[in-house]
Amino acid sequence: MKWNLLTSETTRVVKLPDDIYPIDLHWFPRSIGGKKQSHAESFVLTSSDGKFHLISKSGRVEKSVEAHCGAVLAGRWNYEGTALVTVGEDGQVKIWSKSGMLRSTLAQQGTPVYSVAWGPDSEKVLYTSGKHLIIKPLQPNAKVLQWKAHDGLILKTDWNSVNDLILSAGEDCKYKVWDSYGRLLYSSQPYEYPITSVAWAADGELFAVGSFHTLRLCDKTGWSYALEKPNTGSIFNIAWSIDGTQLAGACGNGHVIFAHVVEQRWEWKNFEITLIKRRTMEVHNVVNDAVDLLEFRDRVIKASLNYGHLVVSTSLQCYVFSTKNWNTPLIFDLKEGTVSLILQAERHFLLVDGGGLYLYSYEGRLISSPKFPGMRTDILNAQTVSLSNDTLAVKDKADEKVIYIFEALSGKPLGDGKPLTHKTEIVEIALDQKGLTSERKIAFIDKNRDLYITSVKRFGKEQKIVKIGTMVQTLAWNDTSNILCGIQDTRFTVWYYPNTVYVDKDLLPKTLYEKDASEFSKNPQIVHFVGNQTTIRRADGSLIHLNISPYPTILHEYVSSSKWEDAVRLCRFVKDQTMWACLAAMAVANKDMATAEIAYASIGEIDKVQYINSIKDLPSKESRMAHILLFSGNTQEAETLLLQTGLIYQAIQVNINLYNWDRALELAVKHKTHVDTVLAYRQKFLEDFGKKETNKRFLQYAEGLEVDWNKIKAKIEMEIAKERERAAASPAVRASVTVQQ
Amino acid sequence: MAQAALGAAGLHFDELNKLRVLEPAVAQQTAQLREECRAFLDKVVEFQKIVGSLIELVDQLAKAAESEKMKAIGARNLLKSIAKQREAQEQQLRALIAEKKMQLERYRIEYETLCKIEADQNEFIDQFIFQK
Repeated sequence: MKWNLLTSETTRVVKLPDDIYPIDLHWFPRSIGGKKQSHAESFVLTSSDGKFHLISKSGRVEKSVEAHCGAVLAGRWNYEGTALVTVGEDGQVKIWSKSGMLRSTLAQQGTPVYSVAWGPDSEKVLYTSGKHLIIKPLQPNAKVLQWKAHDGLILKTDWNSVNDLILSAGEDCKYKVWDSYGRLLYSSQPYEYPITSVAWAADGELFAVGSFHTLRLCDKTGWSYALEKPNTGSIFNIAWSIDGTQLAGACGNGHVIFAHVVEQRWEWKNFEITLIKRRTMEVHNVVNDAVDLLEFRDRVIKASLNYGHLVVSTSLQCYVFSTKNWNTPLIFDLKEGTVSLILQAERHFLLVDGGGLYLYSYEGRLISSPKFPGMRTDILNAQTVSLSNDTLAVKDKADEKVIYIFEALSGKPLGDGKPLTHKTEIVEIALDQKGLTSERKIAFIDKNRDLYITSVKRFGKEQKIVKIGTMVQTLAWNDTSNILCGIQDTRFTVWYYPNTVYVDKDLLPKTLYEKDASEFSKNPQIVHFVGNQTTIRRADGSLIHLNISPYPTILHEYVSSSKWEDAVRLCRFVKDQTMWACLAAMAVANKDMATAEIAYASIGEIDKVQYINSIKDLPSKESRMAHILLFSGNTQEAETLLLQTGLIYQAIQVNINLYNWDRALELAVKHKTHVDTVLAYRQKFLEDFGKKETNKRFLQYAEGLEVDWNKIKAKIEMEIAKERERAAASPAVRASVTVQQ
Repeated sequence: MAQAALGAAGLHFDELNKLRVLEPAVAQQTAQLREECRAFLDKVVEFQKIVGSLIELVDQLAKAAESEKMKAIGARNLLKSIAKQREAQEQQLRALIAEKKMQLERYRIEYETLCKIEADQNEFIDQFIFQK
């Protein structure tokens, strides 16, 4: 029997011979790139007589294979559709090729295997063994992971390819959620009846649980959205439709139950939208209590509300509403029906379906559709894709250490086309939303739960990837300013100005706002961070709202429009160390030293104030720039800048000041000046500390030289005078600098 | 005389002077017997009819009794199972209630945090006005 989801028609596909009692069936997955189209139309059906049958869509039994002795309890295609795994009452796990030839017997055990599932990369197989769950890689000598999962027999397991989580259900009346290392993430309370079936929705956000007279819809973190008590007997098997909005369950009394996910809810600012029926949405404006009804021609599959726009995809079309006018949506047709993800940015939005990524403007115009090799769109979710006004970042699935970054408007890879690579596997990525394109930052969490930040644009050399947090569970950028918030261990942390790490690392702890988050319990998730309000979902599903101070946002606004006086006035008004620290970092980043001086003075960083003052006294613009770079800790860049502008002595001096003797000497020798200066300073340093020269190179150069301090001083004076002259030669530049100061 | 002689030979004359083998008295008795037999037969048939209808009636009654009995048993079983059904229903409702309670708890927490935000914002506004 098959059901067409669009028309609800029922047609009988195949009349099986009477002696076959089907147990399990699984559709061949949709193949990538469509090159195996003929195969995509068939499914595997396992039966109680130890055979499995490959059956085409038209109902022809293409092949029947004797597989197990005793019933074949489950059969599953892998995600590429190249292999099939079957398990049976005889306790064997067998791998078959596409055409039904036995490849290998993966495992053999004494107890029946009730359920089996493929890992996301199709290289591992998860199967049940009594009370244990076993993950076995296909490679024969790789390590097998096995753990005791339930107190009773495990009846069903499922492994989601998108979020890599495992579901299990057992006769101990519980269902549990695991990660792929076998760590328990959620365990339900025991219910009255054994749980007979579990199934993930394709996008990994939801799963369904079936039991006697019970159908339950749960979030991926385990808490349940809804419970239905249909009069069905036990639900033995559940299957989701590919778009994740409908599910079908095979019931103990011979019926098939169909369910639709409704009552989904989206909130943004003062709008609240509820999907009340399959084709109807209700928009509630909380401010004036106005209610609008939106009717659609087909089923609503996905929707997203953000930045003043509601994007709804149905099975055939895409609707774009503006929050200002609910009556006239913009409608355009979709190429493929099943949109799996909608992401919004301020100026455009991204649709992800089985075929690719498509970027549309809010006027419904297709802007671009980025592509990269080995792209698999079916497994992308909000954690692995991030969109901002000018940039799109996608995490690679084949190599989890790699992030692909695209220019949003052209769909081309950014910069030199090389993806961003990190040392360890990346779990979650997020792009900041505001600010200049050249300062676009990406924050990501890796497998060790460390939070890193890096710039998206890279000029030639590798950009630094800076770690700014550890044990970070979840993160989100603000939608209106570049403020980052996350949950760090048991603390809720807000990075008011994450860019600080590039300016003044020591200042970072001062720009943080921390709050105890132990009340959020385990594994909270940030839902959104809009304005100065954060919404967090606790593991039990309840939403928690938090607000942060509105001042940093205002400060960001002032700074982005270069209103430094206003920013200083705001900080004086608020009288908060954090604000001053942010302002200091922002001022240095924007090279406004006057403001920086005030800000540093307010947070008591006297050494830095002094340094800023000394920078101000420097004669030429170039050396000032270099010293600002030095101030931010970019020694390399400062030196390069000085050398480029021909200020070799200053470059050497910088290295001497940093006690970077080797480099100083190298520069001096290379440019054949000030070798004696370097040696003199070195000698002085060694004398001060009562040490002897051990460095061979210094010894070598010291041999032929007599250190004469007077001569050296005269030389230095000369250099400084020379620099003054140079600076005076370009008065226009000087003038603009003085004005700025 | 002749009659006697004939009688000896086993022949008799009846009243209509017909020659008979049987004695008239016997013949008469035979006829009578026949009559009686007929009457008896008639009566038996009638009796059979009556009994038949009686049996039919009883059968009907039996059927009715049987069906009533089944009904009674069914009703009794239903009565017995209703208790169980109620229990199951109660259990289901309980489960639903538990679910709703959890939802309520979630909403309560959300409400609390929102209240906190409101308080925070009010405080902020107060502070702001005060500082002005």
